[in-house]
Amino acid sequence: MAETNKITVNTLNFYYGKFHALKNVSLNIPDNRVTAFIGPSGCGKSTLLRTFNRMYQLYPKQRAEGEILLDGQNILDAKQDLNLLRAKVGMVFQKPTPFPMSIYDNIAFGINLYKNLPKSELNDRVEWALHKAALWNEVKDKLGQSGTSLSGGQQQRLCIARGIAVKPEILLLDEPCSALDPISTARIEELIHELKNDYTIVIVTHNMQQAARVSDYTAYMYLGELIEVGDTDTMFTKPSRKETEDYITGKFG
Amino acid sequence: MIAPGQLRYLRRRVVNAAILSVSLFTVAFALFFLAWILWTLISNGLGHITPNVFTQMTPPPGSKGGLLNAIAGSLYMVIMATLIGTPVGILAGTYLAEFGRTGWLAPTTRFINDILLSAPSIVIGLFVYEIMVHRFGHFSGWAGAFALGLIVLPVVVRTTENMLQLVPNTLREAAAALGAPQWKIVVMVSYRAARAGMLTGVLLAVARISGETAPLLFTALNNQFWSNDLNGPMASLAVIIFQFAMSPYEDWHHLAWAGALLITLFVLGLNILARSLFKKGGA
Repeated sequence: MAETNKITVNTLNFYYGKFHALKNVSLNIPDNRVTAFIGPSGCGKSTLLRTFNRMYQLYPKQRAEGEILLDGQNILDAKQDLNLLRAKVGMVFQKPTPFPMSIYDNIAFGINLYKNLPKSELNDRVEWALHKAALWNEVKDKLGQSGTSLSGGQQQRLCIARGIAVKPEILLLDEPCSALDPISTARIEELIHELKNDYTIVIVTHNMQQAARVSDYTAYMYLGELIEVGDTDTMFTKPSRKETEDYITGKFG
Repeated sequence: MIAPGQLRYLRRRVVNAAILSVSLFTVAFALFFLAWILWTLISNGLGHITPNVFTQMTPPPGSKGGLLNAIAGSLYMVIMATLIGTPVGILAGTYLAEFGRTGWLAPTTRFINDILLSAPSIVIGLFVYEIMVHRFGHFSGWAGAFALGLIVLPVVVRTTENMLQLVPNTLREAAAALGAPQWKIVVMVSYRAARAGMLTGVLLAVARISGETAPLLFTALNNQFWSNDLNGPMASLAVIIFQFAMSPYEDWHHLAWAGALLITLFVLGLNILARSLFKKGGA
């Protein structure tokens, strides 16, 4: 399978103050595919994910060294405009994070950052995003209600809709189902399947079955190093590294 | 025959009951004095709250009158003080919670704010006397409002910072992940999430200055007549209570009790409002 790469990471090192959290990580994230990062807690998978939209930049003591090419452009370059980068790279977090405003305004917030759409187009865009996130039918009659009044699973889909609404090219999902019940999790996984037609998706998960279910490629990380990356079927049936096999067969972790 | 395990359980229950009784007693002790204060105020003041209180000016000794000029003066100065102290306080609190993550400026500001928060109000009165009353050569409502504003400021700074710190960081990250610039994150996300708490802080600050007397003695002084001119001396409930209660005249005593009851009810109302707002927003 010949893939085009959306993101290319070259010898990335990451530091929390003095702590060396990512060690010489290099990998490719293929376009319009789902790539999963797995590994035990503290292995650096979320840290790696948060370099793709430079989320770490909110915290003064965190820094990244190396190269992350997005469509050939190094996004770690100091000249990279952060807000433009984040318009291209959307993110959904572990806990649902609806803003304290109406469902409609939650979606419109991101859109209004970039465009001054007339009201009718804004309405269309909000509806489109909610459709995409498979939430429209549940909320179409209560768009004026607070986003925090929804259930956990609905809130998480609202956050996905909010991310999609600004039309990014990449979606980063940081353990998006770990706070959800199995039914909500199944809905989000279905959604990931549909979304990969239009977006490049990177998902961090603690749940290996989830990685096996939703992803095309899987990367196994341990103690800040990338141990192995490959297509998901191979990784879960005949991994080439002993460490990967131990982890996925539950001998450790 | 009692097993050793049972004995330990019995001991635990006795200790529990003892601690519970002590806690209940201290609560009752505090409530008792609060009730006593309220009772004294109501029994002495309620009979003297007549329509005259709200329609007539403070009288000379020995004649009938009301508290209209004092109520109006208090309202003027409390409103102006809130308008002076609140914007500065909210901006400073925002800086401390949202922007001052590194460097020396935020910790220093926080430290100085804590000093201002615990500064005796009479010192603030003297300070404003020196920089405004002494310089301009006369007492004024503006000086009173400014002194009260200096008391509002640190309260608002502190509550704004604390309430913004309660906003989960994941909410800020979520807004940043959409590409929102920091000022938009603060205004559209953090403020919305913290607004009930911030408003509560402002209301508590208003409650705090409503009864302040010392800073007004040196700044707005007093005025026996109607005045809505903040450039001149101005009456206030707190100072009138002080003056009338210390006097030997029976009529003045009655008005002082009425004024004390009015202030207390106002502060009580503000506190209840603040509480219900905070509950509604915090849910």
